[in-house]
Amino acid sequence: MSTTQLVAPNVSAQHWADPSHPDERPFIRKYVFSTDHKVIGCQFMFLSLFFLLVGGLLAMMMRWQLGYPGQPMPGGGVLPETMAPGGILLPEFYNSLVTMHGTFMIFFAIMPLLVGMFGNWLIPLHVGASDMAFPRLNMMSFWITIPAGLIMVASFFVAGGASGAGWTGYAPLSAVPEYSGVYMGQKLWCISLVILGFGSLMGAVNYITTIVNMRAPGMSWFRLPLPVWALFITSILVLLAMPVLAGALIMLLFDQLIGTSFFLPETGGQPLMWQHLFWYFGHPEVYILILPAMGIASEVISNGSRKPIFGYPAMVGAIVAIAFLGWVVWGHHMFMSGMNPLLGSSFMVSTMVIAVPSAIKVFNWLGTMWRGSIHFHVPMLNAVAFVAMFVIGGLSGVFMASTPVDIYIHDTYFIVAHLHYVLFGGSLFAIFAGLYYWFPKYYGRMLNPMLGKIHFALTFVFYNLVFFPMHNLGLAGHIRRIYDPNQYGFLEPLQPVNTFITLSAFLLGAAQLVFIFNLAWSLWRGQRAPANPWNANSLEWSLPSPPPHGNFTAMPHVYRGPYEYSVTGREADFWPQWEPPDGRPAPDHSPDGVLIGDQKPASREPHR
Amino acid sequence: MAEEHGHGTVAASAATEERVAHAAPNYYLIWLYLLIMTVAEVVVAFVSQLPQTWLILILLGLAVWKAALVAMYYMHLRFEPPRLVMLIMAALPLAVLLAVTVVTMEGW
Amino acid sequence: MSAHGAVPVAVTRPMEGMKVYNQKLGMWVFLLSEVMFFSSLIGAYIILRFANPEQWAEPGVVLAVPLTAFNTFMLICSSVTMVKAFAAIEHGDQAGLKKWLLATILLGAAFVGIQVYEYIQLAGHGFVPMRDAYAAEGGPLYGATFYTMTGFHGTHVTIGVLCLIFTAIKAFRGHYTEMNYGGVEIMGLYWHFVDLVWIILFTIVYLI
Repeated sequence: MSTTQLVAPNVSAQHWADPSHPDERPFIRKYVFSTDHKVIGCQFMFLSLFFLLVGGLLAMMMRWQLGYPGQPMPGGGVLPETMAPGGILLPEFYNSLVTMHGTFMIFFAIMPLLVGMFGNWLIPLHVGASDMAFPRLNMMSFWITIPAGLIMVASFFVAGGASGAGWTGYAPLSAVPEYSGVYMGQKLWCISLVILGFGSLMGAVNYITTIVNMRAPGMSWFRLPLPVWALFITSILVLLAMPVLAGALIMLLFDQLIGTSFFLPETGGQPLMWQHLFWYFGHPEVYILILPAMGIASEVISNGSRKPIFGYPAMVGAIVAIAFLGWVVWGHHMFMSGMNPLLGSSFMVSTMVIAVPSAIKVFNWLGTMWRGSIHFHVPMLNAVAFVAMFVIGGLSGVFMASTPVDIYIHDTYFIVAHLHYVLFGGSLFAIFAGLYYWFPKYYGRMLNPMLGKIHFALTFVFYNLVFFPMHNLGLAGHIRRIYDPNQYGFLEPLQPVNTFITLSAFLLGAAQLVFIFNLAWSLWRGQRAPANPWNANSLEWSLPSPPPHGNFTAMPHVYRGPYEYSVTGREADFWPQWEPPDGRPAPDHSPDGVLIGDQKPASREPHR
Repeated sequence: MAEEHGHGTVAASAATEERVAHAAPNYYLIWLYLLIMTVAEVVVAFVSQLPQTWLILILLGLAVWKAALVAMYYMHLRFEPPRLVMLIMAALPLAVLLAVTVVTMEGW
Repeated sequence: MSAHGAVPVAVTRPMEGMKVYNQKLGMWVFLLSEVMFFSSLIGAYIILRFANPEQWAEPGVVLAVPLTAFNTFMLICSSVTMVKAFAAIEHGDQAGLKKWLLATILLGAAFVGIQVYEYIQLAGHGFVPMRDAYAAEGGPLYGATFYTMTGFHGTHVTIGVLCLIFTAIKAFRGHYTEMNYGGVEIMGLYWHFVDLVWIILFTIVYLI
């Protein structure tokens, strides 16, 4: 039992790994209702990849309609008459596809991948803890996502179908069933997202507490790997933004269920208020969707270049600046709402300013790679692609930031191009980088590198063929979320472009089969992973793959930052955080983590 | 808190944090202040002839002051590490921004 | 040799963190999210009221201010009893802990009870959230915002009372000591927060 004096909070409350005691937990406690953050991370992986597939399938159906308008879709016969009679997609169903593609991808794929999976995998190990601060809350956070997902899927199969009001759910279209033909589906959409929000919130509380309070000795703030910084700031955004979405969703739900009129103009409601509330959440949300990806990219690029990250403090500052500024740019989603031009100008300025910290990060990634000894392993390929694609997405964003330009391109395919460049070209490539990088650690097996390179190459090529032409479509006036562009004479000549994009999209989808096969095969028969296959520096690589329950056998100690690559004078081109300085033995410590003996900071002289 | 493996099971104890020794505040005195301020609010709202803007400012001011008393003394923020107080204060402007700024926008 | 510009010394003390234990930090962080939630509801109310001032009646015309002022007084008293419960267990006073926890539960339950009674009275006079059925002074937005704000607050109080019961059960089983009172402290933080929100809401909803 720890004494009541100067032990730091919760040092004594951690349960370290104990090799001498076999893990006697029953299967269901070990792998199903597990409180172990590594297992929960793996659970998030399977759940999110499943929904990524769902979102992708929805997109394929959309692309069918756009590529071959009015023609029966292959396999469309299985769909009910209410969705696609004779395999031909109905306009209402198309609207649902648009809405649900966005909803599933954002809330059930990217967020759980970046925040649920990587947050769980990385945070406790990177800070040197045995688990999260609240392991049972962590478990609940995963399991609450399941009913949320089921409800969202179920909304397709109720009378009236799934929500067709866009992932942004603008009122009054979303508030009045008679306008959209969707009755139960919209309510289920709201309920599902409120439940999901709870789960995210619980995760955020856990991550913030763990990062602030449970860092191992020596793990000062500026020795944290950048994914932790990114996830920390992201968690603060989740904490403060998700409740606003919850409030808005509840008011929308009340308009539909109880008959209030928060957003209904006939009785004084304010449709524009929905937009303000939604985007007050929505803009921090998009930074939630990119910041962890940036953290992962930093980690992989530094490792793959065998060089320290260029400008670590600036990288941290940029993450904080992006998150901070992200609260005051939401109006740039509403330039067409009729706002006072002066107000529009202020949002324009703040939006352009927020490009600066992102640009700083891009230059720092380039600076990291400059003169590095670059190893193009599969994670590195994906991470470098992330940087390039994010630059394109960011540049299109600068166009949109300019209010007069946005008046023309708002709600066109230019926007669709931008968002996919940052979310797919950005977040998803970084997710792939992280998956190829960390899969070995948590599953104990390497993913096949040849299949990884094939997957990368095919994805990269087809992805650009799908989304780059959308910039041109948008500038030509092609509106988004539209079932039949050919109803406008000036869009008819663009049909071949749409068909080209559709074909590329099908090939892009098919390319993902390579990844799925690689995943399944490697889980079963992949090469056994060593503790440190990438010769990396952060704490997780000091442990076996996969690490035992409780992670470390005792409190780890951290001697340096995480980016000590190619240090002059050293033989190895990396210097792990956990290795004591030359010649010094690792310190002894009691199970409580309190150092036995000398508690003064060690001197610089090597121990003689 | 005794979990799956027997190694090093220690109950999480509040006593392991550094407690700053301080005299317990007089909770009843704070209660009295809160009571007086509540009565003052009701009186101001119903009896005074102040113009609307002043009324709102005074009432909100009283409400915020009461909330601050609860936070400082009942929630012990007065005696917690300053960094915790700073964390909380840092998040409050966002809430205010949400509640208030939108009102200043035109073009409903 | 450790002659290297980037070799920092091994830091042998554990990192300080926030200098409060995990559960307390977690509860405060959670409460910040609750601040944002209530702010979204209050923000919506402010927007709607500015846009439709004619839908609001003068304070006291529709809503029962004296009754609610008494209810406010009860909730503030329950904050006192809660902090006394915490002070008791800080000093190992088991009997005091139990006594003050029970008092808090009673006061909290009474708050909810009076609020429900008030809702029934108001609904009987046509003050409802629905636009179609609204029959009191002012307009339906008055009802919608009233019930949303106070309803969510009341839900939080109810959840608080349930958690207090759970805490009291553990107290009666002797779970808390002067070395282990974190559960009471964080329960108290949630409860005081609920009181704090009501202090703001009472002013905004009933007096302005």
